[in-house]
Amino acid sequence: MVQEEHVVDLLAAYALDCLDVDEKIQVDAHISECQQCRAELQTYQDIVEVLPLAMQENTPPSGLKGQILRSARQSQTRPVAQTRASWWEQLAGYLRQTAPVWGLASLVLILLLGVNNLFLWQRVNQIESHSQAPFMSVSMTGTEASPDASGLLVISRDGEHGTLIVDGLATLDPTSQYQLWLIRDGQRTNGGVFSVDQEGYGSLWISSPRPLASYASFGITVEPAGGSPGPTGEKVLGGDL
Amino acid sequence: MDYTRLDDELLISLVQQNQEEALSVLYDRYGRLVYSMAYNALQDQALAEEITQDVFLRIWNKADTFRAEQGKLVTWMTSITRYRAIDVIRRQNVRPEGNQATWIEDPGLDLPSGMDVESEVETLDSSRQIRTAMAQLPDEQRLVLSLAFFQGYTHSLIAETLGEPLGTVKTRIRLAMQKLRQLLQEKDHL
Repeated sequence: MVQEEHVVDLLAAYALDCLDVDEKIQVDAHISECQQCRAELQTYQDIVEVLPLAMQENTPPSGLKGQILRSARQSQTRPVAQTRASWWEQLAGYLRQTAPVWGLASLVLILLLGVNNLFLWQRVNQIESHSQAPFMSVSMTGTEASPDASGLLVISRDGEHGTLIVDGLATLDPTSQYQLWLIRDGQRTNGGVFSVDQEGYGSLWISSPRPLASYASFGITVEPAGGSPGPTGEKVLGGDL
Repeated sequence: MDYTRLDDELLISLVQQNQEEALSVLYDRYGRLVYSMAYNALQDQALAEEITQDVFLRIWNKADTFRAEQGKLVTWMTSITRYRAIDVIRRQNVRPEGNQATWIEDPGLDLPSGMDVESEVETLDSSRQIRTAMAQLPDEQRLVLSLAFFQGYTHSLIAETLGEPLGTVKTRIRLAMQKLRQLLQEKDHL
């Protein structure tokens, strides 16, 4: 039925999103059932994806970047400020209205204030946990042995995996490697070994036996190539979650 | 920490945590591309600036909606830019001045810069291939592609704008895309 009326001639234009409405509806209906046309469409969508690389480029005004970063900074602080202000305004208004009935009423108000504050904190915590949920990161700083080194450990959305990036570490001879340690309740678990390039830059994909987010601290030591069961060498980087 | 060496996915994860430096690196990497997309669509500097700002603020505020498994960050950004520009054209009824094809003529000229090393090699390769392929299309096919891609014009609007029969426009677009696909496949790009 639908398979007999392939829309091959319309697929290139569909990928470019330049079909008129009636033809777009026709293609939408067809590709929802036709795998062959969906595959053909994908080859055109791949082309549309790289078309921006073929355009004439223009240099944006020099001040645009600063403008964008300023706007980003402003948009970052606005929501929290608004939430707190509206609660306090409500509470203050309520207190003003009941001012003539002091005594017992004051005590009730104080209790209400406490309860409201509790709800407020719970709400703020919820908002913070939602807004920060997708990723966590740990900044790692160099020890006395490697004061110029720095590192960043980014933990995935599910908390199970992570990526470590380090910069400014000394290049080691081939018999040694750096090893990441995942620390929890004083126990150190192997997080993987890695080397760095001539510029001291290296990275490591971390897969651990338990969620990375459950560890309290992270450390990096110099170990024999391939790693050790426990830390034996000098600590070069460390950081806490 | 030198953020310029981080790949796009890590940068976007840092943007989610309000790390302004990560947004700054993304701008250095893709600001020119985003601005150029908007400028090519609208041929208006002020509107192109406005759209570039919108796109980066959207990335700042909605970074958690990016899904690496569904595509590259650069594709996400250019798609947002393109549809934002097309939306301005359609809503404000903007008719960009002139209908000049805005494709680059020289395949080796002015390649995108500022990307991380791995992306850069891949992108430079893709850039040369698509530019070489685009340079082989006849002018009239490049023009209809430009109107469809940058301005978001439909077949009918392109035909009306150019004063060409609808069937001719449809054929040009189809042939242009088929030719690009063929040339890129020959280069083992796709």
